Amino acid sequence: MTLLAILGIISSAIYSGTSLLYATLGEVVGERAGIVNLGLEGVMLVSAAVGVAVTSRTGNPYLGILAALLAGVLMNLLFGYLVITRKANQLASGLATMFLGFGVSALIGKDVVGVRIAALPRLLLPGLEGLPRVYSSLFRFDILVFLAVPVAILVWWLLFRTRWGLGVRAVGENADIAYASGRNPLWLRYQALLVAGLLSGLAAAHLTIAYTMTWTEYMTGGRGFIAVALVIFSKWHPLRAIAGALIFSAAVALQLALQAAGVQVSPFLLDTLPYVLTILALIAWGGTRRHSAPASLGRVYLGTE
Amino acid sequence: MHTHLRKVFVCLLCISLLLTACAAPAAPTAAPAPTQPPAQPTAAPAQPTATPAEPCLIVGALYGGPKNDAGYNQAMAGSMAAMAKNIPCVKLIEAENVPDEAGAKTTMENMIRQGARLIFATAFNHQNPAFELSKTYKDVIFEHAGGWMMSDNFANYFGAPPNSWYAMGVAAGSMTKSNKLGFVAAFPLGWTITFINAFTLGARSVNPQAQTIVAYTFSWGDRTKEADTTNSLINQGVDVITMHVDSPSTVIGTAESRGVYSIGFQDLSAQQFAPQYWITGTGYTLGGKITWLTQSVIDKTWKPIFLRCGVKDGCMAIAPFGPKVPKEVQDKTLQAMKDTDDGKIVVFKGPIKDQSGAVKVAEGETLADDKLGSVNWFVEGVVGSPK
Repeated sequence: MTLLAILGIISSAIYSGTSLLYATLGEVVGERAGIVNLGLEGVMLVSAAVGVAVTSRTGNPYLGILAALLAGVLMNLLFGYLVITRKANQLASGLATMFLGFGVSALIGKDVVGVRIAALPRLLLPGLEGLPRVYSSLFRFDILVFLAVPVAILVWWLLFRTRWGLGVRAVGENADIAYASGRNPLWLRYQALLVAGLLSGLAAAHLTIAYTMTWTEYMTGGRGFIAVALVIFSKWHPLRAIAGALIFSAAVALQLALQAAGVQVSPFLLDTLPYVLTILALIAWGGTRRHSAPASLGRVYLGTE
Repeated sequence: MHTHLRKVFVCLLCISLLLTACAAPAAPTAAPAPTQPPAQPTAAPAQPTATPAEPCLIVGALYGGPKNDAGYNQAMAGSMAAMAKNIPCVKLIEAENVPDEAGAKTTMENMIRQGARLIFATAFNHQNPAFELSKTYKDVIFEHAGGWMMSDNFANYFGAPPNSWYAMGVAAGSMTKSNKLGFVAAFPLGWTITFINAFTLGARSVNPQAQTIVAYTFSWGDRTKEADTTNSLINQGVDVITMHVDSPSTVIGTAESRGVYSIGFQDLSAQQFAPQYWITGTGYTLGGKITWLTQSVIDKTWKPIFLRCGVKDGCMAIAPFGPKVPKEVQDKTLQAMKDTDDGKIVVFKGPIKDQSGAVKVAEGETLADDKLGSVNWFVEGVVGSPK
């Protein structure tokens, strides 16, 4: 394999891994507070549709990103109302949120299906100006790509270095004890979902406004679910999520590069490579460290007497 | 603390409500989206005030995806709209986003119940259910886009893309600097392989060094995968991109954002996604033939025919060239289009070798038209796996 091919795979991995990373980070924050959001796919779809609709109407991708963030927050608050206030089952509520997202996003996005939108501008990674164009074009990214790793570090800092993060993690481990230590589990869970909604919105915004630059129904194509799997892969840790998102999207890029290299292996088989890798990672990780999953993940907090 | 948070929530809610309200004002006024097989009539029942006369024919048309996808479905819907304009007494019932066989069957039955006597089924998956229904409803005529089944009341129609793909190959082969052309394909299907082969033969007719590099997305409309695939091909050094997926918008937009030439397919409107690096493209313009078919049903002269027609017959069109395409390349491309349509150039005339160098079509022979839909080998010069 040539240097260009390897750099090409790295570039593809960074580019398409960005939205996965944001989505995974969002799910990490939620799950650290004890909430599994299987509706992530639907949340991302609504954010994406709103982002494209606003960008197309205003011609301003930054307003589109803002709108996508707000849509993500709104969807997550709705989900939060179900599982926190109404104390509904998290898995069922998540699936319901997902299907709601399918329908709502289709409705919002109906008029912008074949529309070209103003994409986020791209900047060359500083210091690479001297490279030949074939190489330098590999490292022109938009602002959301450059922000991805800093955001992951920020999420890590929030979760592991602040009082707020301690509270969120405490609620995810044992809500009763968190309550006994003077925290309000319900509010903390709402706050965690709010942060998760912002991150899901960022994921959707990058996917549509920067990456595909178009909208169509169900365009996330299962990436929300991949993010849920990546949370387990990264053991609920924001920094490991960077590696998870990069490895998964590098596998996608690798199988495409293998196809393009004319490897005479069925492309149907190559296409499953990233998912096979995911399964292998889950097998390798599974069960070895029980304590890595938040203890009351998926459990509804019914209040403390 | 809590009241403060509550205020923040309320503010967020208000802002986002406002933003979504500005973003999608058209949504409430739009007709109910027939995302699912409609339990109720898709089109509103004819109001006596709107159509004073009885329609001379009720025509049903169904599409696999959204009508405004700037791709295949838009091209099909555009042809229907042209027909409805040409024959004003026709009442057109349309249903979009009907990708699956079960949904197509229900939708078509519904159209027949509303009085449709001619049905245009435009997606690949519509052929089987339409053929089944044609056995039950003998008084309804079914036309499928691109199918191959035939009966007394079932026939099909389509453009003839191989010739125009050859001409697109001539354009691509003339424009490339790296001699690597990228082809984003949905699935390794017979027709897709034929398009890739015709494109490659065209490219190598003007540039024997040219190679077509093929990568599959395994979906007709997964935009993220399309962007992944396009970027991947560009990262391998490809400098002209084309595709066979439902909507060319993502592939062409991605190529444009990377400063790479693109060639469109399906609908002519794809050009809007590449104002700079657009070479040219082809699209279906079947309005004339749809009008003719519909008129023949009204006149009761309709006969089941296997209808295929190219650029010369107005069933396909070449998009305007982009700003970076030199005049000589334009001339060469148009000449290739003319020569293939006139029969001066026969695209699949031997000798043609496959990827391994084995002769697939011998000297003096031609790959027959009815074989083109089931080709399972790539011509020499294609990089990628055909199965």
